[in-house]
Amino acid sequence: MQTGGMPTQADFHEAISTRSDRWYSACLKITRNPDLAADAVQDALLNAWNKRHQFQRSARLDTWIHRIAINAALNLIRRNKPGLFEPLEKDYESDIVRPDRAWEEHELESELAMALGRLTEIERVCFVLKHLEQWRAREIADAIGLNEGRVKQAVFRAVKKLRVSMRSMQEETNE
Amino acid sequence: MNDDIRKLVEAHEADVHRPPAHVVEQWHSAIDEAAALERGRRQQPRWHPGSFFWGAAVTGALAIGIGIGFVLSGDNGIPAQEPVIAYVEPGVGATPAAFTRGLAVHLRDSRQQITSLDDSTDATMLLLQIIEQNRRFEMAAKRNDAPKLARVLRAFEPILLQLAANDIAPEDAEALRAQLAFELNVMLTKLASQPSDESHTT
Repeated sequence: MQTGGMPTQADFHEAISTRSDRWYSACLKITRNPDLAADAVQDALLNAWNKRHQFQRSARLDTWIHRIAINAALNLIRRNKPGLFEPLEKDYESDIVRPDRAWEEHELESELAMALGRLTEIERVCFVLKHLEQWRAREIADAIGLNEGRVKQAVFRAVKKLRVSMRSMQEETNE
Repeated sequence: MNDDIRKLVEAHEADVHRPPAHVVEQWHSAIDEAAALERGRRQQPRWHPGSFFWGAAVTGALAIGIGIGFVLSGDNGIPAQEPVIAYVEPGVGATPAAFTRGLAVHLRDSRQQITSLDDSTDATMLLLQIIEQNRRFEMAAKRNDAPKLARVLRAFEPILLQLAANDIAPEDAEALRAQLAFELNVMLTKLASQPSDESHTT
């Protein structure tokens, strides 16, 4: 994988061939929508291509694109659901599966994905960024326009809910 | 990180979803098209009528041209919030010849505006309006079950954003303007050479 100099067209193709499933999965976990996830990756690729002269020699191309894709996914869900991260009530939404998410869960066909789908949008995004993408709470707060305290609360609630989901999955496996 | 969270994270990290093959193919194509656009800006561009790239570029330029036309013409009898393409159904066009003529006028106006764009705030505002309109066309394309057109429109947004950016070098801005103007020229040529009833295919 390319790690120095300005990346070439071939480097981008190689990155797509070897790492795009990771980018897509990360975006899917954030957006919960296959089309939006695909759009986020495409936006990221084009942005990365247009700004490839800014690429740091010490970085890896695939991780650079990954980071851009995550930001693109966040932008897309903000654009599709304006005010998503603003209302306080969202933090305390129940964990009932909403009808508009049902088809997406069916599409994803993964119990883990469904468990993520039972979180509120804020909880899901904060959990994915904090624990799967290893972002710091401060970075998450800046990216989604919340304060750091609310980010930590959202992560805490997400973990709590996901633990319950994991236990029930394990119990089903053991039965 | 405690054990519970570690297990949770490991489980989620292992939960990788493969993108559909056609989507991966589109990403490869997007990079090829972006590279071709860039080469086109550096060299004297040549038009190969049958190539996928030019098909995509022409379709994008068509929509951008209409968008510019809406922005510049203000009240032209068609609600600005709903792009005309939203009402055009392939094969069921009501007045395709009139549509083509109107489009040609818009494209000529758009070409003129883009080539005379300068670095002023007004130019940035105009480009932002075009981008906004481009997004409406993208959404309209999705609603009309034309995902390819939607993706082509999406691919144009970074170019327009680059042009609207304040930190772009004058020579880069000039090259981007020249490229957009060239694509509008290509579109006008295509419109002039095509039968009018094919002017609104997606």
